[in-house]
Amino acid sequence: MAVILIVEDDAFIRVIAEMMIEDWGYETLSASDVDEAMTLLRSSQKIDGLFTDIYLKAAVLGGCELAQQAIKLRPLLRVLYTTGNFVNDKMKSLFVEGTECLVKPYTQNQLKVSVEHMLAA
Amino acid sequence: MSDTAMAKKAASDIAASEIVETVPSALIVLDRNLNITSANRAFYQTFRTSAEETEGCHIYALGNRQWDIPALRTLLESVIPHRASVEGFEVEHVFPTIGRRTMLVNARKIFRPGDHDGSILLAIEDVSEERAARADSKRAWQLTQSIVDTIRDPLVVLEHDMTIVTASRAFLTMFGITEAETRGRRVAELGQHQWDVPALRHLMEKVLPENKPIESFEIEDDFPGLGRRVFNLNARKISQPGNHTHRMLLVFEDITDRKQRERDAQKLTNEISHRIKNNLQIVVGLIAYEAKWTAAPCVQGYTAMQARIAAIAQLYDLISQSSRGGTILVDAYLKEIARNMSASLLGNSSGIRIEVEAEALDIDPDRAVPFGLLVNELATNAVKHAFPQGQGRVVLRVARVDDAMELTVADDGVGIQEKDPAKIPETRGSDYVAIFVRQLGGTVVATPQEGTGTIIKIRLPLILASPNDVDRVAA
Repeated sequence: MAVILIVEDDAFIRVIAEMMIEDWGYETLSASDVDEAMTLLRSSQKIDGLFTDIYLKAAVLGGCELAQQAIKLRPLLRVLYTTGNFVNDKMKSLFVEGTECLVKPYTQNQLKVSVEHMLAA
Repeated sequence: MSDTAMAKKAASDIAASEIVETVPSALIVLDRNLNITSANRAFYQTFRTSAEETEGCHIYALGNRQWDIPALRTLLESVIPHRASVEGFEVEHVFPTIGRRTMLVNARKIFRPGDHDGSILLAIEDVSEERAARADSKRAWQLTQSIVDTIRDPLVVLEHDMTIVTASRAFLTMFGITEAETRGRRVAELGQHQWDVPALRHLMEKVLPENKPIESFEIEDDFPGLGRRVFNLNARKISQPGNHTHRMLLVFEDITDRKQRERDAQKLTNEISHRIKNNLQIVVGLIAYEAKWTAAPCVQGYTAMQARIAAIAQLYDLISQSSRGGTILVDAYLKEIARNMSASLLGNSSGIRIEVEAEALDIDPDRAVPFGLLVNELATNAVKHAFPQGQGRVVLRVARVDDAMELTVADDGVGIQEKDPAKIPETRGSDYVAIFVRQLGGTVVATPQEGTGTIIKIRLPLILASPNDVDRVAA
């Protein structure tokens, strides 16, 4: 079963996302910032998809930078972004090619559709 | 002198006198004692005198001594004796008969054979009007310059070839340059070539030939001594009455502070929007958590609640991106609601489509929330009840009808068994519809149901004029 790394600085939102994603039979790993996520990405841990918030603690575009670094380490990694901000062109230009962004607040159905879409990409 | 020579001389004298009479400059000839021996017609006309009053008269005594002018005395008594000719000697004098006059006097000593004393030919040109015009022009220019200098925004006036004619004091002070450094140079050459922007050059080239002003061309750059600045450039053609040459007025408005305030406000809006949506995400997460442990029949209610929250959340993005003074385009809002509902209620594999057909109408944020919730409610009900086979189409339509905005939610589903069309919205599910319609000051339009499906129409007060009307008012 696919393993999804969830990167979200808000603990409650992260736990709920883990709960939703695990309900559909996926395995989850989680991190609250770029450094924690990179530690996991550098390890030998199997990770199929990265579901990351964009605004991570003080890093306004932390999720974008994380995905760029992650894809260099693991070129086959799938990426899905989420944000509470308006997705402007500057943000889009930093997205890994062919990826999508799920805007908050998202429901479990929206997250399910987006995760399936990410893994199928 | 032979007869032939005398005849030639006579012919030459006639020709000379004819020429003298037709020359537009006033001419007089003086003998060595400064007595007037002759004058031409132009002299008599200009100075309103006659041959009788003039010939034989001493120049200073002429016309009640009005020619006894110190400057003329200097010319005749001090300059002429030492030089063969003098050109462009300017004499300004108030004549009792013709008022203040400025004259350019050319003087030449002439000698005829046998006349060792010689005569003096004075050609007097009245340049009073030209000088007055020049003085007026100078005064007008000084006035313009003083106005230009009092304008706080830096500005320059450009020639047809884009070179600077003049720069205001504010321009010189702001960019730390002297007038001499600007005159005759192109704007693109100034400073560190900050204004050398192809798009600006392209626009500037159209100002004069096409009379096409430049409105608010924004340039942001680092300027020596000023730091990072944002300027708004405005340019237009300026013409002087009676003058066919045109120039360009280029004004530099420093909008750095305003821009910073806008950016701060945008940042704050984004920050607030980000926090609100994160908090709403927590609420949606709590509902998801509750739904997880709830019996299946209740899950639908939780899902509907999540869609309502999403309808409110989408407003924040639209408000923060709105450039229409905080109002929201109904079209964009409906599309967001439709997109969100499709994803949250239907999923990828659903056979039900939600479509939007909306005119360009605005709605203010205060009413946008109940409006969005109303649309959400009606569309959710349609999705829930109209398609037992899981196939169909829901259309969200907004149109201006007279002075009202008409919202239509139509589906091609199984329809409703209700005889009174006005009661259809209530039949279709929740009390929320009635509450939101009342909140918006609207009414349900009784719509006879034809064919299959259900059509619900709600007439709402036109909250704001359409964008076209707004533009017309602004114009």
